[in-house]
Amino acid sequence: MTRRVIIGAIALAAAAACRRPQPGDPVRGLSAAERARFDSGRTVFDSTFTPAVGLGPLFNASGCKECHEDPVSGGVGDEVERHAAVFHPERIGAVCDLLAAQGGPVFQDSVTPALHAALGIDREPLPAGVTTVAARTTPEIFGFGLLDAVPDSVILSYADPDDRDHDGISGRPNRFVDGRLGRFGRKAFVPTLREFSDGAFQAEIGITNPSVPQEGTVTGQPLPAGTDPAPDPELSAHSLELTDAFLRLLAAPAPLKQSGEARHGRDVFTQVKCAGCHIPALRTGDSPIEALRYRDVAAFTDLLLHDMGPDLADICFGLATPSEFRTEPLMGMRLRTQFLHDGRAKTPEQAIDLHGGEATRSRDLCRALPAADRAALLAFLKTL
Amino acid sequence: MRRFALLSFVVLAAPLAVAAQQPTASQPAAPPPAVPHDSVRGAIRAIDVRARTIEVTTGVGYALRVVVMQVPASVPITAAGAGQRQPIGLAALKLGDVVRASFGGYRSPFVAYAIERIGRVETGVEPTP
Repeated sequence: MTRRVIIGAIALAAAAACRRPQPGDPVRGLSAAERARFDSGRTVFDSTFTPAVGLGPLFNASGCKECHEDPVSGGVGDEVERHAAVFHPERIGAVCDLLAAQGGPVFQDSVTPALHAALGIDREPLPAGVTTVAARTTPEIFGFGLLDAVPDSVILSYADPDDRDHDGISGRPNRFVDGRLGRFGRKAFVPTLREFSDGAFQAEIGITNPSVPQEGTVTGQPLPAGTDPAPDPELSAHSLELTDAFLRLLAAPAPLKQSGEARHGRDVFTQVKCAGCHIPALRTGDSPIEALRYRDVAAFTDLLLHDMGPDLADICFGLATPSEFRTEPLMGMRLRTQFLHDGRAKTPEQAIDLHGGEATRSRDLCRALPAADRAALLAFLKTL
Repeated sequence: MRRFALLSFVVLAAPLAVAAQQPTASQPAAPPPAVPHDSVRGAIRAIDVRARTIEVTTGVGYALRVVVMQVPASVPITAAGAGQRQPIGLAALKLGDVVRASFGGYRSPFVAYAIERIGRVETGVEPTP
């Protein structure tokens, strides 16, 4: 009897170990302490903030999960937010004005009742002279801790800004305002996952914290007195660290088991040169977290900027011109209900069809595929 | 007699009372109120050499802000390179330069204490803190 119990327990443990990570699961191999921090971080991520504890006065959402919600915390959302910047191609050294002195680049779509009462606004007004506003959808963030752990040198190894290999693809890095390599955000502007989430608490929820202790402005004007009653910082350093642990340790969605058609589609993906930018796997470097150290992540991105043509162009961002976007990671693609940076494509097929610029050749090769190959390509993408 | 005694007391006690208000060698003066100070690392977005002001874009993630600083003529401005710091003038700073600056003050424009040019946004800088 005891023997049966032991064998049963081993079988259950083996089955659990073989189970593919589901959306929202942590990466495998965490210590008990790391797992505890992941779980506690999810609690902060799932929190809903109110004006009494610091929400706003300007905000896009009342908590992280309000947007990153589907199918679980860390997933996609149907919210679309506004970013704005002004492109000055004639200037040397400061071609992209992210409107940081005027409340940009994120212009929040909601205000607290107190700010509404004081200014009579329902959302942050855009500065005068802004002609282009970018719509940005909510990406799923599973596996972003692995992207964070990819060394700069790996990303830069794929850069070919002058297209010296003459393949028509010339990925180049974006840089944050302090010159560090960027990788997060649709324009690869933000260098690290921690900075992205610390900044998002303030820019998206209006929650000040030790990393960003000041509230944002209303289009550059200070907040009216009495509209922000919660004392700063509105979130503790400990809560920031727990949130970071949750985000960092979220596993990348495991690709689904591939049918014969999908396996053929993977070959087509390479054949039509999608893999020139959507690099199938990146390898992480050293990390204080063993579960993130020296791992291959099937990210399908090079984290570099590519010209996507005038039809997709919207705003500049750092060194990114209006038509340049970071190669979107395709991991977790099957969880999305809208595609491209602004959600204008409702299917993967539409998204491919809207590629331009450096991707024109690949798009045209896709368009020219026999129906069976095209179906196989889409079958492959739906496994990611 | 009583009047003389009172007068004598005032004459003797007054210097002692005044002395008690003054700092002594063994009891140094209280420091002046501390001026808030901070440091910033970011890209120069505007520079006015005549007015001796610079504007630096900085921030965390998408939470960006602009710090405006007065740069008194006495402020050391240096350029990092080849393992050394070379002194440069304010006019040598350009839009898009990445600088590290310390500054103080209660409100904008703040007053720069030191400025170091560490690179340019286009070419990047090492990921040091």
